[in-house]
Amino acid sequence: MVQAVAPAMIDDATIERSPGYWSTVWRRFRRDPVAMIALGVIVLLILMAILAPYIAPHDPFRGATLRRLRPPGTPGYLLGTDELGRDMLSRLIYGARLSLFMGVTPVFLALFIGSAIGITAGYVGGIVNTLLMRTIDIIFAFPSVLLAIALSGAMGAGIVNGLISLTIVFIPPIARIAESVTTSVRSLDYVEAARASGAGALSIVRKHVLGNVLGPIFVYAMSLIAVSMILASGLSFLGLGVRPPEPEWGLMLNTLRTALYTQPMLCALPGIMIFITSISFNLLTDGLRSAMDIKA
Amino acid sequence: MASDTVMTRAPAAAQATGSEPVRPLLEAADLVKHFPIKSGLLGRSNAVVRAVDGVTFSLYPGETLGIVGESGCGKSTTARVLMNLIKPDSGNVLLNGRAPGTPELSLKAFRSQVQMVFQDSYASLNPRLTVEDSIAYGPTVHGVSGSDAVRRARRLLDRVGLDPRRFAGRYPHELSGGQRQRVNIARALALEPKVIILDEAVSALDKSVEAQVLNLLLDLKEEIGLTYIFISHDLEVVRFIANRVMVMYLGRVAEIGPTDALYTGGRHPYTTALLGSMLSMDPDERTMEAPLAGDPPNPIDPPPGCRFHTRCSFAESVCSAKTPVLTVSGTGHFTACHMVDPGSGHSKAAA
Amino acid sequence: MNTMSDPILDIRGLTVTFGGGPKPVRALDGVDLALGRGEVIALLGESGSGKSVTLRSILRLHPPKRSRIEGSIKVEGIDVTSLEGRALESFRGKTVSMVFQEPMLAMDPVYTVGQQITEAVRNHEKISAADARARALEMLTLVRIPSPARRLAAHPHGMSGGMRQRAMTALALASKPRILRADEPTTALHAPVQVPILLLLRELQRELGLSMIFVTHDISVAVEVADRIAVMYAGRIVETGTVRDVIRTPRHPYTIGLLSTRAHGGRLEGHRLPAIPGSPPDLANLPPGCAFAPRCAIAADACRASVPEPIDLGSGHRVRCFRTAETVNKVAALAPAATS
Repeated sequence: MVQAVAPAMIDDATIERSPGYWSTVWRRFRRDPVAMIALGVIVLLILMAILAPYIAPHDPFRGATLRRLRPPGTPGYLLGTDELGRDMLSRLIYGARLSLFMGVTPVFLALFIGSAIGITAGYVGGIVNTLLMRTIDIIFAFPSVLLAIALSGAMGAGIVNGLISLTIVFIPPIARIAESVTTSVRSLDYVEAARASGAGALSIVRKHVLGNVLGPIFVYAMSLIAVSMILASGLSFLGLGVRPPEPEWGLMLNTLRTALYTQPMLCALPGIMIFITSISFNLLTDGLRSAMDIKA
Repeated sequence: MASDTVMTRAPAAAQATGSEPVRPLLEAADLVKHFPIKSGLLGRSNAVVRAVDGVTFSLYPGETLGIVGESGCGKSTTARVLMNLIKPDSGNVLLNGRAPGTPELSLKAFRSQVQMVFQDSYASLNPRLTVEDSIAYGPTVHGVSGSDAVRRARRLLDRVGLDPRRFAGRYPHELSGGQRQRVNIARALALEPKVIILDEAVSALDKSVEAQVLNLLLDLKEEIGLTYIFISHDLEVVRFIANRVMVMYLGRVAEIGPTDALYTGGRHPYTTALLGSMLSMDPDERTMEAPLAGDPPNPIDPPPGCRFHTRCSFAESVCSAKTPVLTVSGTGHFTACHMVDPGSGHSKAAA
Repeated sequence: MNTMSDPILDIRGLTVTFGGGPKPVRALDGVDLALGRGEVIALLGESGSGKSVTLRSILRLHPPKRSRIEGSIKVEGIDVTSLEGRALESFRGKTVSMVFQEPMLAMDPVYTVGQQITEAVRNHEKISAADARARALEMLTLVRIPSPARRLAAHPHGMSGGMRQRAMTALALASKPRILRADEPTTALHAPVQVPILLLLRELQRELGLSMIFVTHDISVAVEVADRIAVMYAGRIVETGTVRDVIRTPRHPYTIGLLSTRAHGGRLEGHRLPAIPGSPPDLANLPPGCAFAPRCAIAADACRASVPEPIDLGSGHRVRCFRTAETVNKVAALAPAATS
């Protein structure tokens, strides 16, 4: 074995760097047309929500009884008006704000809390794991819809309460995934090697576990966004969660029930928006999952 | 470049010849580790896997101790107990006479002196870290600054034969098996240990690559003055690289002694059978019969007394009644067999 | 070329390419191989040598969409490359059968060994269930499994490694194939368990007149069982000959290197192993000349310029090398003194 390069040269030499994991994932993701379209749709929806005041033609709260339930195509009201005479298009555009918010926020919060619980349980193992995970399982045993309704009902209607109940619904599945992934990573040789070099638990989790575990957990959480949106819509439909007159797609489905036989197209519109959004999130997560599955 | 220098024999023999006795570097005393098998509702364990059941040996500075045995004999578990990755149920490990995890020797200090290279070169490296980050991690844990650790990592890469300019910024999946094992060796060296345990470290490599890595290990040992424990199922390789060999069977030590003594004149029937099962390289002298009958029994329910007696052609009633202990059977050579133990009651034992 | 008169397996010019696109991988390049009746031939090589690809090509086990096969493979005179569908299926298993490296992966964990053998037999022959069961018992006895009648009712996971390997061999032999292929049959086994399996393979060859072609990276396995050895490197056969010729008088620098790498014989304590420097080539980026030239200590310009054709050294010993004049009687001395 020959010392090919003098020590000083080694230290200062520029080394070739391979692209990191996430840039490779992005490159692969970019080549997936379906995933890119889904991403585009979501970006558009977010933009729509942000720019609502600038693109909505009318005030979403201003209604007039004389203009009730006009069909789509009515001049001045592109998608018609709802049961209180408010412009559907504007309400749909503004509705994106709350619907997306109610979809993303609980999942984001649950991601944080659930990961902390799951990773701790997975890494420490033993009795801590049993205690944490069995508690989680008890909550998980309730069907999510019923749990959301029960919690919201108990706390009362309102956006904040709706957020809290949805977050609680999503903590168990995320915690379970986090625990499962952490447990499998923990038994891998490189974690053993890290322990063998004398590192403490926190350092190992930070350097070795998190990087390998957060990816799969994140992707799983993303797939829950669609569920969260639908659950939130369901809650508002039932009169929990978002309350009128706030524009929110699920709530709009509820209040437009009366028009089901007279103007069915109007009823369908908020449902279509929910559908488009949740499909896009699902396709996005599918694409992410394939992109992240890099086989050496 | 050391190509033909003959290394000095390990001082294993010095101990018994009466000259200045060399203190062992690492000692394992009566290590026991059982794994409960969980069954039933509450996970109560009805049976245990007796992975390691009373293993005692010493490792002397500068030597290479080979550990051989079939699967289930406990060699990997022993390695992990030595590394303190698994806590033994009883027995202790001493480094220079001190136990890790005591005030005399902190666990961290112990860890920096005893390192390990694993078999699966791919699973041993964090797929999200570059090669140099993986190597530099250990030193940073022990207080070396980030930039110093990276510098050390790059120098080690060069030492193990990988050009740091090409390899330091790469990820494990971009390297071949042989290259990954070199990285693992560099990682083990990063803490400047005295002992490196190689657990089937070259078993998964192609033969030509294996030869390169073995040469590297020999060179490093000479240059740095390392001591190795070399666990392998490849008896040829162990014969080449080890000064002393320890044969394990079902969680116990069957025989331990200088390599030549075991390979040419093993005293334990299992040793002769195992080492005699090496395949022939002479087409005219092919192996004509299987040296060992049957399959190794389960470590869950080992036979009483001498664990090998069910497959041993010399077994007598005493073998199932009494457990043999390691007895002197030559210079630095110990065998756990009743035939070697005078007064054991075996017909072949010297009275 | 090949002095064999009536080989049971005759491969000529086999070239296998994987993947279309910008970087096709040429896994095999012009492989010529002949297996005589009742003969055992070992394909020896490391990862990427093409030995497993050769084995699988015999049964056309590669997905047709992504692989291209050129050349001819004749089994008992029938060209396998032209078989399709039903004919191909009945050919597989009936005439040519396979034993794998990992018996647990090759056998169905849900069914007992007896059921699997019975099913395999009835797939290829019209015999009654009772007769098929009798054949299963006959097979298990043939492979020297202890208590064969009991093993009929056993599941694969309920057996030890060595017994599973025997059961898998019984399964492979159930339909009385003419050719048995084995892919690293003993690699997953420990040394003491390897020997009985190898002895069994030798016995089967003797008793049944079975022709065998097996793949291994372990030279000693080849020595123990094979009549002839074909050494493969980067998709080509670089040396073929009787086992004595190849082991005692290897003429290709790669073969010589492989043999010197083994620390056999006495202990070379303290001496470094003569190791072949470098690593096997990337099959998508093969050099224009001899694939081994970059690692060869005696490579000349001619070697880098063009691929050597096989040279006949007598009695069926063939080598693909331009430098055979240098490799006479140079077993250990030729091994490059390596800087790893």
